Amino acid sequence: MDDSAKRLLQRLMRRIPTPTLRSALEKWGRLTTEQQKSMDFTQSKWALTERLLGICEENELAVKQLTDLEMIHVIDNPDQGMWYAFQLMDPEDDAKSVDLTQFKEQFKSHLRELVRNVSIKMKKHTDEAVWIRIAWGDTFSRPNHLKPTYIVHYLQTPYVFVTSITSKQKPLLSQALVLSTRYQAIKDANLSGRKLTAIRDLLMKKYQQVFPTKYPIPPPENNQTISTFVLLFIDQHIEKEQAELAANRLQMACEAFGGGMLPQLQSAVYKLETKFRDHSNKTMTEREEPFRCVVKFTSTNLLESFRHCASSGIASTPVTPLLSCIPLKGRNYFLITDNGPGPSSQRGQPQV
Amino acid sequence: MERHQNRETRTPRNNVVVHRRRKSKSYRLSYRSGLGAADSRLGWSPALTARRLNTSRKAAGISNIAERVDPGQLALLVKTEWQLSYVTPLHQFRHTQLKSYARQLSAFIAAGKQQGLAVEVEGLQTTFRVSFSLVQGMTQSDEDAESVLVQIHSKRLFARQDEPQKPVWSGWLTCINGNPDYLRALPKDFVCLPLFGCSGADGLSALVKSWFQQSFDCCFGLLEISHTSLQWLMALWTNCHAESGIQHLKMIWTLPAAPPLQVTYTVDPEDAWELWSSVRKGKGGGGGGEEEEEAGENYIDIEEVTSFMQGLKSHFYRHFRLDLSAGSLNQVSTALGSAKYSGRMKVPSTRELCQMLSVFALLIFVNVLFFFFSDLQQPIHDHHPDAADRVRPPQNAHLIERIQTLMPPENTIAAFIWQKLLQLVLVFIRNEAKHYLSLIFNIK
Repeated sequence: MDDSAKRLLQRLMRRIPTPTLRSALEKWGRLTTEQQKSMDFTQSKWALTERLLGICEENELAVKQLTDLEMIHVIDNPDQGMWYAFQLMDPEDDAKSVDLTQFKEQFKSHLRELVRNVSIKMKKHTDEAVWIRIAWGDTFSRPNHLKPTYIVHYLQTPYVFVTSITSKQKPLLSQALVLSTRYQAIKDANLSGRKLTAIRDLLMKKYQQVFPTKYPIPPPENNQTISTFVLLFIDQHIEKEQAELAANRLQMACEAFGGGMLPQLQSAVYKLETKFRDHSNKTMTEREEPFRCVVKFTSTNLLESFRHCASSGIASTPVTPLLSCIPLKGRNYFLITDNGPGPSSQRGQPQV
Repeated sequence: MERHQNRETRTPRNNVVVHRRRKSKSYRLSYRSGLGAADSRLGWSPALTARRLNTSRKAAGISNIAERVDPGQLALLVKTEWQLSYVTPLHQFRHTQLKSYARQLSAFIAAGKQQGLAVEVEGLQTTFRVSFSLVQGMTQSDEDAESVLVQIHSKRLFARQDEPQKPVWSGWLTCINGNPDYLRALPKDFVCLPLFGCSGADGLSALVKSWFQQSFDCCFGLLEISHTSLQWLMALWTNCHAESGIQHLKMIWTLPAAPPLQVTYTVDPEDAWELWSSVRKGKGGGGGGEEEEEAGENYIDIEEVTSFMQGLKSHFYRHFRLDLSAGSLNQVSTALGSAKYSGRMKVPSTRELCQMLSVFALLIFVNVLFFFFSDLQQPIHDHHPDAADRVRPPQNAHLIERIQTLMPPENTIAAFIWQKLLQLVLVFIRNEAKHYLSLIFNIK
């Protein structure tokens, strides 16, 4: 095995945690049963790396096969690294009829025209997703397998998710994607996050949606186990009224953000450039320039936090369009400016 | 109300005084006595107020501190995040015995490791070295004790043989601009270094603190920077924008959603400055008399601070319909420094360091004073449960007696505390620049 293959294997072993290593190796299928048995997973990582290095030399495996292993690991653990969503625009007439083989061939040929020395690996996953791994090189150097870019594209949808790409590589990738999918342009969807599953579910609306109904959810029944002693002191009318208000808030919160399990988005950034308006502060209200600030919301599950805020009253209902835009439009970066007449003149401007 | 666990860790409510240095390079603070002064902006209530304090002495400017202290030592103090605590006066602490203290602490830590106390401490190998050094010059007045820097050096986990030891834990004790009356009232054996900052592993911090507690009969308490103090810091830093750009005004709020929601609200410095100026101009003239010429410029009222904050919150609410008051302000930071609710602070350069330290030292003074002025016997006894076993009475009892002699009769204790607690810290950034510093008080 040459140096670059050794380094790639070492890097892979650092990246793959031991619990998932066994299943990854099995799926990889390049080890014989005896070799698989000889790997003792209770040893330290360093010892395992040495053993695997020996096995790969026995089987005369090269970089090409090792990248397979990396791809298997990434596909099974997509919630690492930072993913950015892109959307393809303006489909041509035959965009819908692009099938897998056509897309594969077209993408490879277009990208190879644009970049010399690029290594492309494409794989179709079970859920209609096409995974692409690209190792970039240029005219003078071989593809760098230590810093690959991963792309996920769902055929028949205009969505593409990309991780680990530099600004130099982005236009090349965009060009290749646009040509091979038969669209006319690609733009930044202003959505990013650590979990691919979350941003995918958000963008493609794969979570439970709640729609406004004529018959709202009835308020929950009074808890029968409340003792009569307590009930004497609680005015039942007040309780009923509060319960109705709470149910209303819950309904509006669910309409804005969705019901059930929500995609785990971690952050949302709003860049505000609107005028400052406050009745108590005349000086600032008369000011011409906008008040610039940046607000960033972070949480382990952002949409869940927002829904809880709305249903518990921390956020006033009906939920402001700024917040409900996140699931509605499937983005988490907004540039808000004063646009058009009227007091509530805040619209999200797409940032391309 | 801020959250308080027990008496030792409580910081009383805030009261802020702001002073501004005049061009004549000597400052004069006019002291208004009397609680019931009708024209004073003093509110005898949890609302805060601004006061001016008259001292006729000329104290050295804080800018001189930066010149007097060894730059190498100063460099250790900036750009690191320090966890602040307050310390009660140390009994029989001698600045001349620092080497012996270093040996004792070293032995204490080694013993602690043997017992398994510091087992989880990373980076502390068997060969570690403790150093106590004197930071000369980091004082404001003659009564301030010299600061002490404690460092624990050790090699990294897989360091080579010839690699030098690096500090894995640092801590310092300082007293900048202490209350002179309090300092003079201390019994002879006590040294007052009320502000303690540490940075490094928690296990080591706990060990060092317990060594100090055992050796010098003092007690440590966490210095929480309350919500109001953070607001004051925010207003003050914004006020300094004209002289030294703050680059941004960043606030971090936590809202109690499930899961908790963190909001980072960063405001452009120019816009923050304009909002702050509009809040200040909008305020009418202060009370009558000679302070009119200064009222608008030199003194910052709590109402201005709250209006500033309210403006920011309402702008936020207008867009998101989320009320930030439902959450808590955890951190405020600008290019001039950052402060967290949990008592952590960080300053980017030496100039701001001295300002921040004196502010926090004063915060301590109020805290320590309050600790002793309040119901004294029980907390002291709680803190020294084995006092009865000692041959000598607990040293703090001496301190209590001494301070008790200073206390006025019961019915004016409130007035006494009020007078004693009001202080002012002057801060000078540059030679001629005007600068604001507010004294953060807690009063209950």
